[in-house]
Amino acid sequence: MRFIRTKAAIAVAGLALSLAACGDAGTDNEGVEVEASEDASFEAGTRMAELAEAGTINVGVKYDQPGLGFNETGSDMPTGFDVDIAKILVASLGIDPEDTSKVQYVETISDNREPFLVDGKVDLVLASYSITDERRQVVGQAGPYMLTGQQLLVPEDSEAAGPEDLQGKEVCSVTGSTSLDNAKAQGMKPVGFDTYSQCVDKVLDGTVEAMTTDGTILAGYAAQNEGALKVVGEPFSEERIGVGYSQDYPEMCQWINDTLEAANEDGTWAEAFEANLGASGVETPDFPELDPCES
Amino acid sequence: MEAFINEFPEVLQAFGYTVLLFLCSGVLSLIGGTILVAMRVGPIAVLNKAAATYVTLVRNTPLLMVFFFFQFAAPKIGINLKFVDVHIGSFDFTSFFATAVVALTLYTSTFVCEALRSGVNAVPLGQAEAARAIGLPFSGVMREVVLPQAFRASVPPVASTLIALLKNTSVAAVFGVLEAAAQMKIMTNNHADERWGIFLGVALLYVVLVELVSLVAISFERRWRIA
Amino acid sequence: MTALEHEPRSAGRGEPLVVLTDVQKHFGSLHALKDIDLTVTSGEVVVVIGPSGSGKSTLCRAINRLETIDSGTISLDGQPLPQEGKALAKLRAEVGMVFQSFNLFAHKTILENVTLGPIKVRGLSKSAAETKARELLDRVGVGHQADKYPAQLSGGQQQRVAIARALAMEPKVMLFDEPTSALDPEMIKEVLDVMVDLAHRGMTMIVVTHEMGFARTAADRVVFMADGAIVEENTPEQFFTNPTSDRAKDFLGKILKH
Repeated sequence: MRFIRTKAAIAVAGLALSLAACGDAGTDNEGVEVEASEDASFEAGTRMAELAEAGTINVGVKYDQPGLGFNETGSDMPTGFDVDIAKILVASLGIDPEDTSKVQYVETISDNREPFLVDGKVDLVLASYSITDERRQVVGQAGPYMLTGQQLLVPEDSEAAGPEDLQGKEVCSVTGSTSLDNAKAQGMKPVGFDTYSQCVDKVLDGTVEAMTTDGTILAGYAAQNEGALKVVGEPFSEERIGVGYSQDYPEMCQWINDTLEAANEDGTWAEAFEANLGASGVETPDFPELDPCES
Repeated sequence: MEAFINEFPEVLQAFGYTVLLFLCSGVLSLIGGTILVAMRVGPIAVLNKAAATYVTLVRNTPLLMVFFFFQFAAPKIGINLKFVDVHIGSFDFTSFFATAVVALTLYTSTFVCEALRSGVNAVPLGQAEAARAIGLPFSGVMREVVLPQAFRASVPPVASTLIALLKNTSVAAVFGVLEAAAQMKIMTNNHADERWGIFLGVALLYVVLVELVSLVAISFERRWRIA
Repeated sequence: MTALEHEPRSAGRGEPLVVLTDVQKHFGSLHALKDIDLTVTSGEVVVVIGPSGSGKSTLCRAINRLETIDSGTISLDGQPLPQEGKALAKLRAEVGMVFQSFNLFAHKTILENVTLGPIKVRGLSKSAAETKARELLDRVGVGHQADKYPAQLSGGQQQRVAIARALAMEPKVMLFDEPTSALDPEMIKEVLDVMVDLAHRGMTMIVVTHEMGFARTAADRVVFMADGAIVEENTPEQFFTNPTSDRAKDFLGKILKH
């Protein structure tokens, strides 16, 4: 089951890209626009060929993380960096990523990402999905397409500059997330809520001193609440954000890596980063080194 | 099961919060429910109405909404429990624990009230009349005669209510309390490959706790059966 | 001083103790008490008889306000019945009540049943209340059952305990609402004996009953009720031998035939 690299490369090269800075719908976060590859072709029998043939795909993304995966109430097209990377992958299959009758951007939360992949409810997960050894026991994870670290989001007038200033203080994050565990390891008291936006509320109303999770997520909230919240401190953990797929289809790994690599080479990756996370003052980093796929 | 065993101290600590949430809200709910039922069956019309309205309103609201109210709405109108800040051993009792206790108590009290009311209704009217006839005031009639018998009659429904409370404490997991359900989420998130073992372990401990509550209820039923 | 030491009775010649004036009571469309005027004097034993549904139980229950009345006045020892509250509770303590279905407190022992009122209402010490309770229980013949629960006693025993419970409050008047109607025939006598004894000791009593024998031997006055109204009042002898109203004649004809 050899993957035809040349054809995939051509497929990616065929993506028409443009940075949608015009903000036509009044939103300032349109991400990148990618069009379906017209000459997508995969070796028969692969999952990619099946998906391309079917012309439909389900992608798990977050709905509550501005800048990464965020869905306005009532919209069926989420926005964010994760979503844009998802679109690049979808487009490479020859499916129009903007056509929500063909692509379903399903909301996944931290808890259901593995079950959704294992049960086949989604084909891909791009939901600030950290690559870990434990997860790789259950699902496939390709990438990473982004490196982030856990930081702190505090009120604008807070004097805290890092975990050392918040020893024994209550810090909010999503219940069950690795961020909470890390916060505990850093000497802070973890307080778990259902969503990041609820934590933002708790920081704004002063119940907790800070919230913590990946810096990119925090940057999105800081941008949303400019003048009220700020991101502080050096990252105190390293998260490698990757793409989840089902272990039933190991061939997807190489396709994902190749597509990501191509998006890096033609600049789409950087544009997507810039468009989604640039506004919050984060500099576009270097493209991370991809984990090799086991063959 | 490996992660569950390795992290058993954390699991126990988390179940400690579950038990403490249960005990605090349980005792307060029994008191609150008793006060509510006294208001409902008492002779003062205003209190009847107030208690009935409260029970209808809160009992018909999902517990999650009650939590939401106290975590997100109440602070905006100046109601918060930030002054709560007690630390005993490895347990922290801050505004999140206090808020959970308040939400669980206000919610569970309504169910205790209704369970007790079924008990009060099971006490023959003649008992209250005889108590009034010897000159006991309403409070005495309730305290000496009606409620003791109502409590006996309502042990099974009250036990069910308390068992529901024990499981309802898990709602606090997403409102800032690191109790059993929150710990389970941490573990399943960290050990995606051991989900089933972790689920089973936590479920088993819940079953043990519920069974303990049932046993206590049964022993009360036995002890009070003589009369 | 205990309830054991009442003055010998001087039948019907005391002060007015219970006075009902123009009392009216409706249950929906049913006129349950109609123009009731009744005065019971201290030491008097009044037996209220009448067909069922005649309002005699309602009358009895109205006297300690277990039933409210629509209009009219009821006064006890010169004081009108208060509305709900502490004052009413205080007044009820002065009126002993014995129910058809005994209504002993099911969760308390016989002794506790009798001591509850004296301790909680009269403020007696536990030991004083128990001493007195045991005296009363001995007097009604159930002293040896003091530590049992009501459900362990026969109906007759329970009713005698109920009488002791009421007497423990040292009431000014005792109300009996069909005290023997729920009893098996062989137990009726033991309860009536206690009541007769009580009457002989000078207790003011208002007794709703179907026991004509008791009315003949113990009553100073018989009040006959029908359809919510008092139809006839007389001495037992006059009433049973020479009733004046048709309703009373009819009623007596029915019950005395057998």
